[in-house]
Amino acid sequence: MAQPAPPTFEPIGIGEESRPPLAVTPNPASLFRDRAERFRALAEGHQMKPYLLFLAGLSQAQHATQGNLSPAAPPEAEDVRRAAEFGMPPIARERFEPDTAVAETLDRFFDLAAAVEAPEAASAALARLASRDSDRRRELLFAALADAPSADALSEHVFVSAALQVHFARLAATLDAGKLVPVADGACPACGGPPVTSSVVGWPSAHGARFCACSLCATRWHVVRVKCVLCSSTKGISYGEIEGVLDSIKAETCTECRGYLKILYEVKGPSLDPVADDVASLGLDMLVREAGWRRGSVNPYLVGF
Amino acid sequence: MLGEVSRRQFLKGAGASVAGSAMGALGFMGVEEAVAASIRPFKLANTTETRNTCPYCSVGCGIIMYSESSKADGKRKIMHIEGDVDHPTNRGTLCPKGAALLDFVNAPTRTKYPMHRAPGAKEFKRVSWEFALDRIAQLMKEDRDRNFVAKNKDGVTVNRWTTTGFLAASATTNETAFATYKVVRSAGMLVFDNQARV
Repeated sequence: MAQPAPPTFEPIGIGEESRPPLAVTPNPASLFRDRAERFRALAEGHQMKPYLLFLAGLSQAQHATQGNLSPAAPPEAEDVRRAAEFGMPPIARERFEPDTAVAETLDRFFDLAAAVEAPEAASAALARLASRDSDRRRELLFAALADAPSADALSEHVFVSAALQVHFARLAATLDAGKLVPVADGACPACGGPPVTSSVVGWPSAHGARFCACSLCATRWHVVRVKCVLCSSTKGISYGEIEGVLDSIKAETCTECRGYLKILYEVKGPSLDPVADDVASLGLDMLVREAGWRRGSVNPYLVGF
Repeated sequence: MLGEVSRRQFLKGAGASVAGSAMGALGFMGVEEAVAASIRPFKLANTTETRNTCPYCSVGCGIIMYSESSKADGKRKIMHIEGDVDHPTNRGTLCPKGAALLDFVNAPTRTKYPMHRAPGAKEFKRVSWEFALDRIAQLMKEDRDRNFVAKNKDGVTVNRWTTTGFLAASATTNETAFATYKVVRSAGMLVFDNQARV
């Protein structure tokens, strides 16, 4: 007699399931335009209004730089495959070799940035950048890639970093997000860089999951919540917020490494931008640092802070 | 490793190797001071998010519990509970019972201590664990002494105790389940179940 088929058990949907992808590559066509808008919206009535408006202008320049710019050359498929095999980032900044597309991006961005209303010091820095020979520019470029500006070139660092953000966001956009692999704790799977902030996102496919945003290439990558992004400890995590003011931005502090990274609750405020809101919530940094925590993120617009 | 490099970059980015700030260098004077002045009246509030497992049933869904210090007495109080997106079992979802956990946690009628309602009494009254365990053990022993079946009618040793049953809960560890099984079966109890949805 034939045996009855074994029973099969199908999962029963009891709600909207979140299956967050490992990484989401940026969309440079809207990234900087949206950021500029966010900067402008934040500037209204803000103590940092002049600076936020200046950064809105810079972001708009980042957006405009891309218009009819020759496309960024994607890395070789073989290199991407090998990088994935060994858990390395495919567009690693350590191995970055600037090509003509980078030079073109930098030139165009500096030109456009010069039109942004800015104090004397900023315009002077741009003028210095425009006239600087390629060796000096290369030096600044690698300092920006290492997030290690020299103290006498902080203003140049801001502009060079912003230009590189454009180039790397375009590079990252050429990657297949599905083929990226985790590379290290607190490192971007596309370029290996540190995060600027992390966000609890409200995306339909990943509602309530936390994604870090890369400070350079704007790739977002998934990191388990209630875990230190900087040292991966799950012990001693707590969240600092400005009492009674901001509950959509908190500082995730870790007693193991004494560092903190801001966490933006996009589920509460969908317009939060990883970079713009990091700058605009500088007050939170001041309070958290006063309490003895070290800022663990990188944002060229807040360098030196 | 890359992680090490990144860590070093964090330190540099955090201002270990630079003096001044981008804002100052770009000529935005007084902005930092304005921010510093604006936050002076404010305090840093501390909240926590804690991973845990829903206590209701054997599915074992992951939850994240948000708590903050109460303004009234300074005690930590849970103010929100949601499904843990990173948990492979439920991926952020919760059933209606799990979704109502906050009311369960803060319910005024929640049982926090052993309670005893004596035969004939109308009210439960709080008792010590000592009393509760002694009382249960005493009643179990009396019942077992009265009704234990050592041999069946054919004279075969069976060591059964069928007049008392044991219902254990599901939200236990393997070790708890092991200990429960050993205690219950060694006593000869046959009626024994783990309720998956208490």
